Amino acid sequence: MNMTMTAPEVSTTALSVRGLVKSYGGRPVLTGVDFDVRYGEIVALLGANGSGKSTALQCIMGLADPDDGGIRLGGADLGPLRGRELAAARQQAAMVFQKVHLVPRLSAVDNVCAGALHRMPGWRSMLPQLYPRQIREEAMACLDRTGMAGRALEQVGRLSGGQQQRVAIARSLCQRATVVLADEPVSALDPHAAEQVMSLLADLAHTEHLAVATVLHQPDLARRYADRAVGLLEGQVDFDVAPADLTGEHLEPLYLPDRVAA
Amino acid sequence: MTTAETRTPRRLPVPSKPRRGLRTSRLVLAAVVIVVLHLLAFQGTGFRPVVLVEGWQGMAGFLAEAFPPDLDWETVLRPGLEATVVTLWIGLLGTTMSIPTALLLAVLGSRTTGAHPLVYQAARSVLSFFRAVPDIVFALIFVTAVGLGPFAGVLALICHNTGVMGKLWAESMEETDQGPQQALRTAGANRMQQAANATLPMVVPQFVGLLLYRFDVNVRSSLVLGLVGAGGIGLLINQSIKSFQFDAMLTHIIVVLVLIVVVDQVSALVRKQLSGPNS
Ligand SMILES: Nc1ncnc2c1ncn2[C@@H]1O[C@H](COP(=O)(O)OP(=O)(O)OP(=O)(O)O)[C@@H](O)[C@H]1O
Ligand SMILES: [Mg+2]
Repeated sequence: MNMTMTAPEVSTTALSVRGLVKSYGGRPVLTGVDFDVRYGEIVALLGANGSGKSTALQCIMGLADPDDGGIRLGGADLGPLRGRELAAARQQAAMVFQKVHLVPRLSAVDNVCAGALHRMPGWRSMLPQLYPRQIREEAMACLDRTGMAGRALEQVGRLSGGQQQRVAIARSLCQRATVVLADEPVSALDPHAAEQVMSLLADLAHTEHLAVATVLHQPDLARRYADRAVGLLEGQVDFDVAPADLTGEHLEPLYLPDRVAA
Repeated sequence: MTTAETRTPRRLPVPSKPRRGLRTSRLVLAAVVIVVLHLLAFQGTGFRPVVLVEGWQGMAGFLAEAFPPDLDWETVLRPGLEATVVTLWIGLLGTTMSIPTALLLAVLGSRTTGAHPLVYQAARSVLSFFRAVPDIVFALIFVTAVGLGPFAGVLALICHNTGVMGKLWAESMEETDQGPQQALRTAGANRMQQAANATLPMVVPQFVGLLLYRFDVNVRSSLVLGLVGAGGIGLLINQSIKSFQFDAMLTHIIVVLVLIVVVDQVSALVRKQLSGPNS
């Protein structure tokens, strides 16, 4: 892949979340969440429905405003940053969604180019037909990295769910993100496509040294693909362990019916 | 033994909704209000079918004079066809020339594109104004500036159509899936880029459909605009009525009907193609 930035050093902290607090309408969702993701590793976020996994990712991406706590991305503390500087710091992180959030009518390569909008000159970013050639070529390389180069010109809406998710991951590569946050990237996929996407995410972490955090509802996938598993319970991190140590003792309290936030 | 055929279907009583009494009394109240409003409206408009029945001779006389239509090529049919084409041009330009203004105001006046609240409110107000003023009023105003003729009609339609189409476009942007736009926001795209690369591509089929629908409506409107002096076949219909040439009037009306049916069918066909396999 022709990423122009220098590859971050392995095992330095890419994303660090400290004491993250967030409540909605007086109801606490996160009450002090701490976790780290290092370059070159993939971390699975586990937790019941409503335990605040998405909320935590949204706070990091700026889609929700945390009430309290600190977030460091690639060494930069987001707290004091405002405006352009904050946006520039956040660009290091890309989000991958369960519902892919691609534009179905546009081609795969056009969708991937859109990840690079932040570094396109004004008027050329207004229409896919005007995107600069270097960016289109970089997008092709990103599609190639996710195994989708052969479908570059197809309308995204016609691709399967797993293929769409790989296009979405290519978009985050074209953004030149060093941190990838994925919210249930495989929840809508069949088992085979889910394996493909998970092994792609793990491979990106291990060979491109990206920091990947992914919300999963399948502990089994976490065991097989993640380097660490973080469990969210009652607004806090309940465990943060190597997947080999992930046992029923960890998981049972997480998914107990009466523990699920009402 | 009960088989699937002989089994009697199980039934359960439907639980009754609480506060039913209140709902019934509200329905009665609504019915009374609607009936009273209609009685007042009948009175206010002199709505008495008897008058229509008694006055049938007037109508019959009028129709008798109109039949057969005057199909004289030089004096009626050719001017009629030429004026109909002008009507079509007024409707076409009134629709297409309002695309830039409608698009700009729709983007600024749509909640999803996240323009500044003041800009949003301003865009919404401008749209409401252009929508609220009927095209015929715009036509009367523009006639005083550019004189009688089709140009005044085009200007009037541009104004009114900007208001209507801008509102419809803004709404279809608000109804579309916000996911792709949010994804581009997290990728660091600015608001213009989000609108141009996510929101607008998502709504292209709806936009084109609404555009064709407005073209359809605007061709009809330009007919009425002709009646107040803004050119086209409306003007000829008006003139033939004023000079009691009802047979010429009928010819013009038939030509207009053909035009409207053709426009309607073509726009329906294109819209069907659009909503077809691709979306
Ligand atoms: N925008 C919002 N407004 C109000 N409440 C919200 C909002 N977003 C999330 N919540 C609430 O916050 C809690 C946590 O939601 P969140 O979506 O983060 O959970 P989750 O762990 O991602 O669950 P799931 O596994 O179902 O995706 C829920 O109780 C939810 O109702
Ligand atoms: Mg969630």
